[in-house]
Amino acid sequence: MATVAELLDQGVKAYTRGDSAEAERLWLQALELDPKNERVRAYLRQVRGERPGQAPATPAAPQRPEPAFAPSPWDAGPAASPTVLVEEGAGLDLGAVAEKSDIRPLVADQRPPSRPPPSGDVALWMEGARELFALGDFSGSLEMIERILRVDATHAEARAYLRQNESTLVAMYESKLGSLGTRPRLAIHPEEVLWLNLDHRAGFLLAQIDGTVSYEDLFALSGLPRLDTARILASLVAEGVIR
Amino acid sequence: MNENEPFIGIDLGTTNSVVATVIDGVPRVIASRTGQTLTPSVVAVARNGKRLVGHMAKRQSITNAENTAYAAKRLIGRRWGSPEVEDARKVLPYELVPGPEGNDIRVMLGGRAFSIPEVSALVLAELKADAEAFFGRRVTKAVVTVPAYFNDGQRKATKDAGRIAGLDVVRIINEPTSAALAYGFGKQMEKKVVVFDLGGGTFDVSILDVGKSVYDVIAVGGDTYLGGEDFDRRVIDWLVFSFAQEHQAIDLRQDKMALQRLRDAAERAKIELSEGRQASIHLPFLASAVEGKAALHLDRQLSREKLEDLTQDLVDRTIAVADRTLRDAGVRTSQIGEVLLVGGMTRMPRVQQAVKNYFGREPSRGVHPEEVVALGAAIQAHALLHPQKGKEILLLDVTPQNLGIMVVGGYFATIIPRNTTVPTSQSHMFSTVQDDQTAVRIAVLQGASDKAMENELLGEFVLEGIRPARRGEVEIEVTFDISADGIVGVSARDSATGTRQSITVTATSGLTETEMRRILEENLDEMLTRRQVGDFERLRDRTQAVIAEIESLSPAVKEALSRSRFGKDAVQRAEEVVGRARTAIAAQDLQQMIAVEEQLDRALQLFKGLAGGTVPGEKGS
Repeated sequence: MATVAELLDQGVKAYTRGDSAEAERLWLQALELDPKNERVRAYLRQVRGERPGQAPATPAAPQRPEPAFAPSPWDAGPAASPTVLVEEGAGLDLGAVAEKSDIRPLVADQRPPSRPPPSGDVALWMEGARELFALGDFSGSLEMIERILRVDATHAEARAYLRQNESTLVAMYESKLGSLGTRPRLAIHPEEVLWLNLDHRAGFLLAQIDGTVSYEDLFALSGLPRLDTARILASLVAEGVIR
Repeated sequence: MNENEPFIGIDLGTTNSVVATVIDGVPRVIASRTGQTLTPSVVAVARNGKRLVGHMAKRQSITNAENTAYAAKRLIGRRWGSPEVEDARKVLPYELVPGPEGNDIRVMLGGRAFSIPEVSALVLAELKADAEAFFGRRVTKAVVTVPAYFNDGQRKATKDAGRIAGLDVVRIINEPTSAALAYGFGKQMEKKVVVFDLGGGTFDVSILDVGKSVYDVIAVGGDTYLGGEDFDRRVIDWLVFSFAQEHQAIDLRQDKMALQRLRDAAERAKIELSEGRQASIHLPFLASAVEGKAALHLDRQLSREKLEDLTQDLVDRTIAVADRTLRDAGVRTSQIGEVLLVGGMTRMPRVQQAVKNYFGREPSRGVHPEEVVALGAAIQAHALLHPQKGKEILLLDVTPQNLGIMVVGGYFATIIPRNTTVPTSQSHMFSTVQDDQTAVRIAVLQGASDKAMENELLGEFVLEGIRPARRGEVEIEVTFDISADGIVGVSARDSATGTRQSITVTATSGLTETEMRRILEENLDEMLTRRQVGDFERLRDRTQAVIAEIESLSPAVKEALSRSRFGKDAVQRAEEVVGRARTAIAAQDLQQMIAVEEQLDRALQLFKGLAGGTVPGEKGS
């Protein structure tokens, strides 16, 4: 049975992933366990788009009548070309029209228009980052911080947490490696490497491990940030791939 | 000089470098501290600020291309703006900038400008350190090899690189000479020898007259942009295109990590195919097609035939260059008594076959082609530092370029033609161009062009006090002297009055003496910093080991304390010390680590005692 803190943590992660429904479900579970928990209530208000003190559900506003349009000046004169009658049941073939006229529709930009997230989101992520940091989930906290810095690179508190999280995580991962002067070796048969589930960055680091380079050397030649290198190497050690 | 002082011969190559020595009369290569005989001539500043040299630098040369300097030999002693430098700038991924005087080149690495001799010095220092590890004591004397076509400035810059690395370069010798020396060592051969040197980045052909212990380079030619890396590139392209066909046009060249692995694998496969007929190229988790999914593998078999197909035109180019060099020198293949193969690429069977077909004879394979130049340099170093009467080896080198002066009309008059054996002295008569001319300007140049402006100006001086006379009546004798060390002395003398002026042309590497002093001082600082980093790393490793031991004892300690009223405070203090040690490691704080070292040791002793059944406060009570 998950504790309130764990449910809170899982909910924050779900929310960060963009899965608001899952976040709400987890936080509701937390609320059942601790109905007086103000933090859970605040999160639930946030995920439902409510503000403190706002009623949980707003009744739908009465429908307004459709506005009356002003007459178009084009309707006054004769039409420049004969009216095309569209057969009943058959729509206008837009593709054919485009082909004949050489008129092409505009292509929408692949990137969605950048819209600054509501400041409430940043505050929530920051709150989540603090919470996760206090729980010792530095990776989760870092995830939140990175999310904040993507929309506000100058966020002072987020930057402070970034440094703290990174140095703590690097120290944690490095402690799992042992002495950084050690020259790691493959702990499995080379044929077994194919059965692993690695991304290309881990593949690159694994390819460098041949018994001649130390962990410290790997940090230098990986070309990746120290945290990423430490994380990958710690994971390879934990999975028994290298020793 | 101490007779037992170690000495070394260094082949400072464009792609790889080798260090060798002579032990008990036998020349031998010194392996690096990691056991390899070749050290890549690559220097880098990694993203974490660490300086990397050799294999480490090469292994990240694509992923960190902008901070990795290779092929510095193409640039050493060159002038900013020269055609060679402009050509290099088109292909090199690292940034080149002009030096403070504007006439030499600097490489930007990790935000700092390095002169080219400094870059080469890092490679030489690595080889020096390997030699010192081998001998177990300091090594300061070396013979270093350079291509036969290197001019005075390039030779001086190579010497400067040695000085920066803490080496006294007692002699610079030509690479083909060195190779011939290694082959001729202990043999009595008198013949014309061709040195066919296909290295990692350059191709050189040299023709030598070899007599009894006399080595005379009579002609040099080559292509400075043809070598083993071009062969590797063909294999990489083949792998990239076949992978793209198989995996929806994924272009591995866009992924630096993938390209780095491909380059290493291509080189390995190529080397394997010099012995075997098939090479497996197996690169698991090479590239990610979709973010978050397992990466794709590359698996290919490369046959020797395929490699030969992919590189046939490169092999043909080497033969065309060799043919042109022989024709220029007026030497027929039938006059060649021996063909020496130098450079790793000559291990490729197709290259050996092409050489055999062209020269009509089997090339010599007595000495390892990648080590032969360094071995020759070691032999020369041995001969220079431990001379034996009657067994001196006389090295005759040649002038790499025409030497002469500027004459009226802006033309270049050659006084000592290219490929003239040094030491030499040659004179030429000139006359005045104006009536009553009392002074003449002598501009000393080297190069291959008829136009003075297109050649390199080595120095100039004015001869004054000429007897006034009608133009053409005064005879001025200009004499060029070149010493065995390549120092050029030029004098001009009025034959009638005996008035004489002279100049000694001292090659410059681009570094001023002040800069050289600054670099040497910085090297000392760097050594101190390295020592501090080394101290930190050693203490960090030790601290981590003690923490790990304390943690492994922790369950037993807790078990012991659960049965006692004593010791809980002491354990809490020990845990605090462990916490402080961890913080010091994370902050890379050497002083703090030193401060907690003793307390940590005491904590370990405490834990050992508790785990062994001794509870504090109860001992002896």
